[in-house]
Amino acid sequence: MLNVQSEKSVPVPRPRLLRLEELNPVIKGVTVVLCVLPLSLVFDPVTTSTALVMTLLVTWIFGNVSWRRWLLLFSPFLVLACGYFWTAAVFPREQPEPGSAILWSIGPVRVTAAAFQVALSLGLRTLLYSALSLLFMLTTDPVKLMLSLMQQCKLPPKLAYGILAGFRFLPLFREELSIMQRAHRVRGAGRIRRTPRSLLEALKRYGIPLLAGAIRKSERAAVAMVSRGFTGTGRRDFYDRIRVTWRDWAFMALMLAIVAFSCGFSYAMGTLRWYNGEL
Amino acid sequence: MKNWKLRDIIVLSSLSVVFAVVYVLFLQVGNVLVGLMGPMGYEVIFGIWFIVSIISAYILQRPGAALLSETVAGTVELLIGNTAGPVLILSAFIQGLGAEAVFAALRYRNYSAPALMAAGAGSAVFSFAWGFIHSGFAALSPGLLLAMFIARIVSSVLLAGLLGKWIADALAKTGVLRSFPIAKTSRGQLSSKAEVS
Repeated sequence: MLNVQSEKSVPVPRPRLLRLEELNPVIKGVTVVLCVLPLSLVFDPVTTSTALVMTLLVTWIFGNVSWRRWLLLFSPFLVLACGYFWTAAVFPREQPEPGSAILWSIGPVRVTAAAFQVALSLGLRTLLYSALSLLFMLTTDPVKLMLSLMQQCKLPPKLAYGILAGFRFLPLFREELSIMQRAHRVRGAGRIRRTPRSLLEALKRYGIPLLAGAIRKSERAAVAMVSRGFTGTGRRDFYDRIRVTWRDWAFMALMLAIVAFSCGFSYAMGTLRWYNGEL
Repeated sequence: MKNWKLRDIIVLSSLSVVFAVVYVLFLQVGNVLVGLMGPMGYEVIFGIWFIVSIISAYILQRPGAALLSETVAGTVELLIGNTAGPVLILSAFIQGLGAEAVFAALRYRNYSAPALMAAGAGSAVFSFAWGFIHSGFAALSPGLLLAMFIARIVSSVLLAGLLGKWIADALAKTGVLRSFPIAKTSRGQLSSKAEVS
């Protein structure tokens, strides 16, 4: 779960112009946010699906992403998208167009063509967002991201290394949990049943000791860091320099062009629908 | 940031890391619930996603603790498998801001149960406003929206405010927080109440 990029196979050197894995993490993240913001304002299925297909193409062409992993992470969002689609189709806000044809109805439930359009775009939008973020997540190394945040965004080193230290505790938690479980078994503590009340009991029995351990470990780590001369103040140099190159800007331009193209394509098809004051 | 001790920062980060894992797990719970009842599925458990700002604000009792911990938790969530993408950092920031605003309004002096519950509700209000823009709530009917809003507030008051306080108090009882501000507030409930009023 931790190693976002743990590819089992040895990476084959690919002489490619643009590799998602080698881009600057901060610029890549900012690009994804910049793509999401305008797309939040679009309410039609054509724009969203065009952008979705093109995002998939970018992931496929420029990224070295394991498709099994991608599908595994993407599939929950299919369920979520269906949920959104269902709610928005059946419980729309005011009928956007009063004369909209009724597509089908079961009893009191009826779905108009206009509501169907908006619902479809909401569902597709969920998929688009997750595709965009998988593009980021599956190609970004957590440590590089923190280093990049420190070097490009002036994130205070105290905080950045603090987060990395906390991040390193994660694998230890699993170990501690299994130790605790075994210790409970040795002492004959009862198994925890799966009712809401006993979930609270489980939280008390495992969650609190784990958190207490985390706090103890953090205090020790802080003492260790300070005693080794970590001041955490401003200017410092880095062993691993994360740079910004023209490739990062090229990637940003490419992604923004995709958003512009999707809107343009939808406009040409006459299906573009902006969010217009539906607050 | 300058006057924060490294110890406080690391404690805050590791709390955020732990709860980032909890957040990602609850995302799966939420997905199941959403499959059953649409967007309402998220609303009933939404409070859990604000819990770290309540817990760390209560433990550290410093300006910025609520905002920072929630933002860090969002960032870590992003690293370990929330596919909401880098926007998540922004969402987390806004949620943290909601709790922070309540603590700031109380001048960072009041960390009683009602204050923590109000902070949870603050996060709920801010995150709902953000959801309006980001998740396209504007396309839903006002009745459903109102129900979602109420569900989110209730869940935040209970799952973030009350559960958060319970967890922090249970932690204080173990003694690991003896050197943190919470020890003063949490040890004797009576004295803390006298202090507040």
